[in-house]
Amino acid sequence: MNPFVFAVRGLRRQPGRTILGIAGIAATGALLFDMLMLSRGLVVSMEQLLSGVGFDIRVSATHATPLTGPPITNMAETVAALAAIPEIENVVPLRLGGAVVDIGKRSYDVTFMGADVTNRRPWTLVEGRDLTIDRRSTMDPPSRDGASARQAHGLAAILVNRNMAQRLNLRAGSSLTLRGACTTNSSVPPVTFHVNGIVEFPFDQARQLTAITSLKDVARTCGDTAQNEADMLMVASRQGDSPTAAVEAIRRARPDLSAVTNEELVARFQQVEFSYFRQISVVLATITLFFGLLLITVLLSVSTNQRLGEIAALRALGFSQKRMVSDVLWRSALLVGAGGLVALPLGLALSIWLDRLLQTMPGIPANLRFFVLEPRALIIYVALLAVTMAVAAVYPMWTVARLPISATLRSEVIG
Amino acid sequence: MIVEARGISKVFPMPAGPVTAVRDVSLGIEPADYVAIWGPSGCGKSTLMHILGCVDTPSTGALLFEGRDVSSLPDAVRSDMRLAKIGFVFQRFFLLPMLTAWENVELPQAEARVAPDTRRARTAELLEFVGLTHRAHHRPSQLSGGEMQRVAIARALANRPVLLLADEPTGELDRATGEQIAELFDRVHQDGTAIVIVTHDQTIASRAGRTLVMRDGRIEREESARLSQSYGVPR
Repeated sequence: MNPFVFAVRGLRRQPGRTILGIAGIAATGALLFDMLMLSRGLVVSMEQLLSGVGFDIRVSATHATPLTGPPITNMAETVAALAAIPEIENVVPLRLGGAVVDIGKRSYDVTFMGADVTNRRPWTLVEGRDLTIDRRSTMDPPSRDGASARQAHGLAAILVNRNMAQRLNLRAGSSLTLRGACTTNSSVPPVTFHVNGIVEFPFDQARQLTAITSLKDVARTCGDTAQNEADMLMVASRQGDSPTAAVEAIRRARPDLSAVTNEELVARFQQVEFSYFRQISVVLATITLFFGLLLITVLLSVSTNQRLGEIAALRALGFSQKRMVSDVLWRSALLVGAGGLVALPLGLALSIWLDRLLQTMPGIPANLRFFVLEPRALIIYVALLAVTMAVAAVYPMWTVARLPISATLRSEVIG
Repeated sequence: MIVEARGISKVFPMPAGPVTAVRDVSLGIEPADYVAIWGPSGCGKSTLMHILGCVDTPSTGALLFEGRDVSSLPDAVRSDMRLAKIGFVFQRFFLLPMLTAWENVELPQAEARVAPDTRRARTAELLEFVGLTHRAHHRPSQLSGGEMQRVAIARALANRPVLLLADEPTGELDRATGEQIAELFDRVHQDGTAIVIVTHDQTIASRAGRTLVMRDGRIEREESARLSQSYGVPR
């Protein structure tokens, strides 16, 4: 009977205690696993979201986080200048504003965006038709004739997200009247749009209502004079060229602008916004590990102390010190291994539930995930459990190794 | 000679001062011996037996096992020696509760890396010897005290030891069951295994060929079987 089988039989001898131990490890293991997924989850998820948009560079007027700083002026000229850079394939100017939809006595706040797109779009069409390509509106300075994405029936085209379509009962072909709310003193008349299609925006929040049209129609709806402005330029580097090379080219051509690659943006988030989550996950993971360690140490110590007579008898029969110590280590490995395995589905289920909870928080994109399963998290999890298993077994192993056989046999008889 | 103790003493350091459990004991165990160490509780019988069984080492003096001084041998070597050459029977049996009688008997053989076929044959033989073939697949919790001690004796004999040491083997049993166990020891001795039994039961001690009477850590006197009988101990 090898030490593994011996340890298995030993644990089966006290099923209640073994199940409790495994359950305890499963609970702490699940939390540990979640904390490891959280430690890099936001970063990985943000990387996936940014790269999924199809643009690998963001250009703003200042070094502030994109869409939080002042707008880029002379947008059309800037777009034309950047589009002329050989390393760049596509430039999409984006403007962010607000609008209100009035239906009866109810009003709905809408995130209202404008973009002049050519071949790439920072959204995914799920139903209907996309915005009409209008090269003039991207490359040329906007004219005031309103010749943007206009439909045959004279209405400007607009795309809405699923939330908005469901909430306002919109479909491709519906009409939608928006009242601009881009500035505090906006008093322009409402503009009616033709809903071309329903789209998904990667950074939409769970309950966010979002609509997008051309820059010109955003300006018309908002009633502002700053028609040649954009809050951000989304840039796609040419295939074969690295985004870093494209960013360097932008910095050379327009040093007054701030251009960042997705990687740089993620690194910036990692250093500032996401660092709190990483710190929280490190602290909680450490506490969790400590409790797991205590739990296993206590279980193994109690179990070992109850078996001292048995261990002394086996030692008297000729079982080596190494063999008896390895038995303790195997018991620890079995408890931690079984608990650690149970913890994986438990941790995954818990992370899904927590993710859903966190995704409904205001200001958090619905597609952003806090807990992301990646091989790295799994490897660290296994390594940490292995260390816990070994460290937790140190004291009971030491007890067994130093057990005075003769004195123990005597005290067992007296006891 | 299997075991020879030359002037061994054992001193335990205690908070109140050192306690000498065994004082200057010299004795020898021959292959055909059946020795009882008899004396009142706390006289040092078990300590002496543990030293003879290479479980403990003497504080002073020398212990020779098959002519080799084992006092200074490393623990691992003494473990191997115990596994191969010495069998132990304890007052409290110390059978592993999660194993069946069969598995308990097989365990020391597995530890000694005896081939599975040989192991099975030896286990079957031993369980038959102790009359427990029909209880082979019962766990200790399903056995009576006498049956557990018979399994423990079978386990002690598993690796064909040259010396069987038993510490109060009938201490937890009623008189009738104790008698059965004593008879089993007689049969083990008849098969050629040297036996040392520690007991404070004169009835058990009287079955041995030699009785070492201990008091205060010393061997007060040694009696042959004849002397034991004449001393009034029933045979």
